[in-house]
Amino acid sequence: MAQATNGKMTKLLNTPLKVFTLYALVVLAGSIPAYYYIVNRIWLSEIDLHNKFVKRKIEKELNTIAINDTILAQNIRLWSHIEPGINLQPVAESTRKNDSRYTVMKSTVLHSKRLNRFRGLSSYLTINGKWYHLTVETNVEETDEVISNIAFVTIGFFILLVIGFIGLNQRISAKLWQPFYNTLNQIKTFDLSSRVPIAFEKTNIVEFEELNNSLQKLIDKNRATYQEQKEFTENASHELQTPLAIIQSKLDLLLQSKSLTANESEIIEAAHKALARTSRINKNLLLLSKIENQQFVDTEMMNVSQLVTDSLAFLAEHSETRNIVIEMRVEEYVYMEGNRILLEILINNLLMNAVRHNKDNGLIRVDFSKQGFIVANTGISNALNEASLFKRFSSSSSQTPGSGLGLAIVKQICSRYHWQIGYSFDNGFHTFSTSF
Amino acid sequence: MKILIIEDEPELAKSIADYLASENYLCEFATSFHEALEKVTTYEYNCILLDLMLPGGDGMSILEELKKQNKQDGVIIISAKNALDDKIKGLHLGADDYLAKPFHLSELAARIYSVIRRRQFANANIIQQNELQIDLLAKTLLIHNTPVVLTKKEFGLLLFFMGNKNRVISKNALAEHLSGDLADMLDNHDFVYAHIKNLKKKLTEAGCENYLKTVYGTGYKWEND
Repeated sequence: MAQATNGKMTKLLNTPLKVFTLYALVVLAGSIPAYYYIVNRIWLSEIDLHNKFVKRKIEKELNTIAINDTILAQNIRLWSHIEPGINLQPVAESTRKNDSRYTVMKSTVLHSKRLNRFRGLSSYLTINGKWYHLTVETNVEETDEVISNIAFVTIGFFILLVIGFIGLNQRISAKLWQPFYNTLNQIKTFDLSSRVPIAFEKTNIVEFEELNNSLQKLIDKNRATYQEQKEFTENASHELQTPLAIIQSKLDLLLQSKSLTANESEIIEAAHKALARTSRINKNLLLLSKIENQQFVDTEMMNVSQLVTDSLAFLAEHSETRNIVIEMRVEEYVYMEGNRILLEILINNLLMNAVRHNKDNGLIRVDFSKQGFIVANTGISNALNEASLFKRFSSSSSQTPGSGLGLAIVKQICSRYHWQIGYSFDNGFHTFSTSF
Repeated sequence: MKILIIEDEPELAKSIADYLASENYLCEFATSFHEALEKVTTYEYNCILLDLMLPGGDGMSILEELKKQNKQDGVIIISAKNALDDKIKGLHLGADDYLAKPFHLSELAARIYSVIRRRQFANANIIQQNELQIDLLAKTLLIHNTPVVLTKKEFGLLLFFMGNKNRVISKNALAEHLSGDLADMLDNHDFVYAHIKNLKKKLTEAGCENYLKTVYGTGYKWEND
């Protein structure tokens, strides 16, 4: 029923978009530690390999060149100075341990202020038959730097994904869902009472074609039912006319009876009244379904001002007996095209209501012009229920024996000619305004 | 006076005949299209009451047949359809009047009376009843040869009573006669009383006898032997 998209509602295609985006965000965020873990492991194992290689090279080179211990010690000192990552210390054989790897944070000569991460190898080797303890430390990129780099790239990819999602979504929406929106628009403009048939566009997507076919079936069925309903009302009203005529004639005959008592005569009169009301409802139902069935097709150009004046003249005698004053402003010679019967009914019903639902010594204001027809009357002191006012059989008061169809007919005639009819209550006046 | 009632609903036809019997009308019946066609071509009637929806055919064809044979019978269409098209077509084919069902018998009687008078006294249609003299064409009333000015509605009421002499007419029937379809939208029928009162007053003041009687406060009767 809701026509517009309200605050909580989203378009169909935006819902998966949101979910996809969220999913991509979660996956990509989860990938950051995973990437870090993998990169870090590769890195460390590479460096361990490198450190091991350095150790072998030192061991092999120093044993091959065969220099004496003094020169060796001098060289080691010099070397430690140039290359602080590599440290070679003579140790007693008894302190020898297995090779071990470690990670350490310390400052370097070049970047003394910052702590850097080093991967170290602690190993023992023999040069010229003596034991030395060797530590090789190689600089590794810091954890935070690695993570921030990976995160940076990941965010970049994420943005790329979102842009892609939005772009693809729009293209899908425009192309793939086009038949759906076509169908939607068709249904939005569909009016059961109008005779214009609905035709869905052909589509090569199975689901949409199924949807269209189902809708078509549904609409055709509704239309047929509606048509039957309308014809039923008309036929039923027709069929009722004859039995009503018989009852009426029998009552008229009964009234002629010479032996009738005053009491019996009153009973006949009451039956007459009820019968008149039944006939009226029946006639109005018939009229209503005739208007709905577009049976008043003849149109003519006529002086509507004259119709209003005539109707007012007729009503004058009825309003006078109840001392109701009619203030009227009728623009003369307003010519309009329409069906004379329908226009008369519209005018009569509105004016008649203003008299019927008025109070004694009341007031009626009538304003007729090219723009519209406004009838305002005094009456009951509270506003009528506008929502149900123009519906069938929704008379607001039970003591007035109307047919309950007067305003429904007015509404039907107005919609037939695309006129607006409205009700308002202000300052004790019930106003019905029709704008042409 | 001979009346043919072409109506397939026997109860309605019987009511009409019963109501009209007291006014020297002789009623015959036809309940199907063929029976009706046979009767209208064989006999002459002062007035034919014609229902349009008949078993066996459309009542309009009977009108066409009457026209073709150049018959002078008065015709009143009584139809449940109340369609403007039918009315226009019927009147165009020579029907004198059109009455939608349901109707009051008094209304029908008044119309029959008027149709027959029109047919019989085309040029000098004057009703004379004791001191009353009604000129239907000029729509004037003379009482003791003195003109009495009546409003259109009062004149209409007087004619209505002329067509329903000695019969009780309900206030409803009068209200409907006076204001047509609009009557049933009005809550009270006091306006009928007002018109009757005025008519009575004018007649009495002109020296007319009191023929118009109130019956039990619910109806009226024009008594004249």
